[in-house]
Amino acid sequence: MRRFLLGIASVLCLVACSPSPSHQSSTIRIRWPRDPENLDPLVAPNSHAVEILNLLHCSLLSIDYNQKEFVPWLVEAMPVVRQRDSLTLVTYQLRSEASWDNGLPVLASDVVFTLKVMNCPGLPNEASRAQYGFIQNIEPDPADERRFTLSFRGRARELVHSSGDYPILPEHQLDPQKHLRRVSLAALRADTVPNKRRQQPDITAFVQRYQRANLNRQPENLAGCGPYRLVDWQTDRYVALQRKANWWGDRVKAAPPQLQAKPAAIDYEIIADEATAVLALRRGDIDIYPMMPAKDFLALRQNKAATQLSFYTADSYEMIAAGFNTRQPELQDARTRQALSYLFDIPGLIQASQQGMAYPSVSLVSPAAGESYHDSLPLLTFNTQRAQDLLRSAGWQQQAQGWTRRVANGTLQHLKPSISYRAGNPAYEAIALQFRTAAAKIGIPVQPRPTEASLFTEHLRTGNVELYLQLLSGNPFTYNFTPILHSQSIGWGNFTGFGTAASDQLIEAIATEGDPKRQAHLLRKFQYLLRQECPLVVLYFLQYRLAATNRLTNLHATGIRPGYEAAAIQSLPAGTIQP
Amino acid sequence: MGHFLLHRLLRTFPAVWGVVSVIFIISRLLTQEQVLNHRFGEGETGSHVASPAQRQLAELQIRQRLGLTAPLFYFSAAPPPVAGLALRWQWNGAHNQYHNWLRQLLHADLGVSFRDDQPVVSLLLQSLRYTLPLTIGAALSCLALAWLLTPRLGRKSRGRSLLLTSLYLIDAAPLFVVSLLLLLLLANPEMVALFPAYGLGREDPTATWLVHFQTMAYHLALPMLTLTLASLPALVVQLDAALNHELRADYVLTARAKGLPDALVIRRHVLRNALIPVLALLTELLPSLVAGSVVVEMIFSLPGMGRLLAAAAAAHDYPVLLGGVLTVALVRVWGQVVADWLSFQADPRIRLPL
Repeated sequence: MRRFLLGIASVLCLVACSPSPSHQSSTIRIRWPRDPENLDPLVAPNSHAVEILNLLHCSLLSIDYNQKEFVPWLVEAMPVVRQRDSLTLVTYQLRSEASWDNGLPVLASDVVFTLKVMNCPGLPNEASRAQYGFIQNIEPDPADERRFTLSFRGRARELVHSSGDYPILPEHQLDPQKHLRRVSLAALRADTVPNKRRQQPDITAFVQRYQRANLNRQPENLAGCGPYRLVDWQTDRYVALQRKANWWGDRVKAAPPQLQAKPAAIDYEIIADEATAVLALRRGDIDIYPMMPAKDFLALRQNKAATQLSFYTADSYEMIAAGFNTRQPELQDARTRQALSYLFDIPGLIQASQQGMAYPSVSLVSPAAGESYHDSLPLLTFNTQRAQDLLRSAGWQQQAQGWTRRVANGTLQHLKPSISYRAGNPAYEAIALQFRTAAAKIGIPVQPRPTEASLFTEHLRTGNVELYLQLLSGNPFTYNFTPILHSQSIGWGNFTGFGTAASDQLIEAIATEGDPKRQAHLLRKFQYLLRQECPLVVLYFLQYRLAATNRLTNLHATGIRPGYEAAAIQSLPAGTIQP
Repeated sequence: MGHFLLHRLLRTFPAVWGVVSVIFIISRLLTQEQVLNHRFGEGETGSHVASPAQRQLAELQIRQRLGLTAPLFYFSAAPPPVAGLALRWQWNGAHNQYHNWLRQLLHADLGVSFRDDQPVVSLLLQSLRYTLPLTIGAALSCLALAWLLTPRLGRKSRGRSLLLTSLYLIDAAPLFVVSLLLLLLLANPEMVALFPAYGLGREDPTATWLVHFQTMAYHLALPMLTLTLASLPALVVQLDAALNHELRADYVLTARAKGLPDALVIRRHVLRNALIPVLALLTELLPSLVAGSVVVEMIFSLPGMGRLLAAAAAAHDYPVLLGGVLTVALVRVWGQVVADWLSFQADPRIRLPL
């Protein structure tokens, strides 16, 4: 007993003597479920890494979360766009205040350098190269070292946005010997064979220097021109950023929102488990819990004891869709696909899988998109009778062994589709089970196939699926359905196998159309086509949910990832609670 | 003893090599989509994304950078024109992924992580820095508690049955339930907020070792308590069975007849004999000392080995996964050798197998 009491006393002593965590009220603490893993600006493997890189570095353009449009960041204004033959020329003018931490100005030569780094063989830039490889050339203005023109083929609006959407890197830090100045961008773009770089000592020397910087894990070795610098990163524990005392953005007169960075420090606290994160929020260990699961969000909102918290939601551009692999013989005709789409009970699914915190849409366009949304199309309803009628009109007959039909070559087809999805996601499981139950009611046996993530992607690519569930993401700026529905993307992102000359033409027209009215008309036409052909159906758009302590002000939940704008958030002094 | 150790190590080495080689081959045969797809925004309908041809080229370049384009093993099935009716084999020579990996391994180099290019050895060491204090602390607490509870187990009393029932109950509860219950009881502002809810606090390079130790102990107390509670039942129940078996022996009767108190009979005489089956169980704990506990590390957000390996498995980061498996396999083999040696120490009549 004495030893037991001694044990209790030592634990209490440990608790009493333990250092209490000090917390500055000007620091914003945000919960993340996972580590950013790699903070090399060329790699940025996940949305968390992108979020940090956007605070450490600046791109030419940024996003205005309120207006939902691209805005100038490192540049004075949106670029001037001209057409020369098949080339699009985009001219940018860098801000005169833009400078690196050592006071050197950000110049066109830094942009040239960044493009060369993104195309330099021997660096882990494969994804950057694929994404920004469309930029063919950059011409600095000889009369103005802050002015330059990018050129590329194609007229899509999204290409103009993409041409300014990558962090600009400092040449004086990464390449003080100016090795890359001796190699042209065209030569780097053409060099796609890894061993070839050994023949070019300049490239080898630069690659070795870049690798020595170990930016993957030591991003502090590269001082970007963003408003924050990284002060500490402990893997799987936290990432701590501090605002620069003399950031160039402070010198801009009447600075627009994208050039304002309010918090003195931002700590990203990595808490893997959701229940622990809720507890940490309630204890006041974190200030913001973004992307909160619907169940926890509703429970916390209804908890009267959680008075120190505020709750935010925003309609996102992420949607859960059910795709039909049109390469499967049973799913080749549109009427069969339409029939099966009537078996999804969308309001029920929104309630069951998202606790009602999602919203339906007629197609791939968000209902918030105004004229572009085809509001004349009815929302999909759950209608087993309609499904049976459509199946009969597609030639299927209900018999003792299920729904069958005889096709042209005399073979008998059975309608018994499987529904594939990534294993471990409760929302997908709920959808698959609801679909199976509804299909069983009209005599269609459905086999749910939960599949490991990597294997699922492989199955999608090889067409080894029938129905499948997938998360699709869009944004409010541009519409480009090429990756998911164009025939040239079949096997890469278009897992439906759908694609006709007319649909391809429509997709291309939407992507390149510059006039909003004409684009809205094309989008409505496309939504109608999708409803007729039914290669995929959107079940619902997700809502982003965010809970935060009351002491934060100017916190706006947005429908664009990460769901908030960290640099805009302000905090009241500790102990102050907003009314 | 030296002969015994050498003999055992020589015998177990092929087993470890075989296990790791099989895992290497199987893991590389699996699809690498997870590794390759992380940056291409699959399912994006808005922003500019790479064309299929660009993606194909990028995937090839990533494969080349990660060394995944070379043949997997010394030989492989010949491509279709060569392979006719019968399956033919093609000799790939030393330029294959397995050979390169083995050669690196002989230089104590486990390669670099697919995710961040960091050496696997340093990643494992970094994780062990947090896992070992937790697991060793929990193991020592578990042993100390078992030692304290031993005299109670020898006596048929209400206390013993109550203790065993409680231990069975704890054993029946999944680890995440035990973790969450402790968290909600002892780190909850609505109950008792004695301990922190997650993590290990801030790294302060200016802090003294005492402050460092205190911070670590404060943050690890609750996870350690969880692991202790989770491993205690198996140990105590096994010990209880062994003790009860030994207590029926004649030498116990003699000891009691001499007038020794029960606690002394158990600790001085019975425990040594009852320990032999428990020793094997104790050494089984050794691999989990380095493997960590995924559940506890996830719930308490600790950057340990369990979480590292779970994340590596989810991201198909095979160099890290293989490094972890190799470490755990080596500790397991070492644990078996230690178990034999301890059994010999506990009962010299046991002959060490050669």
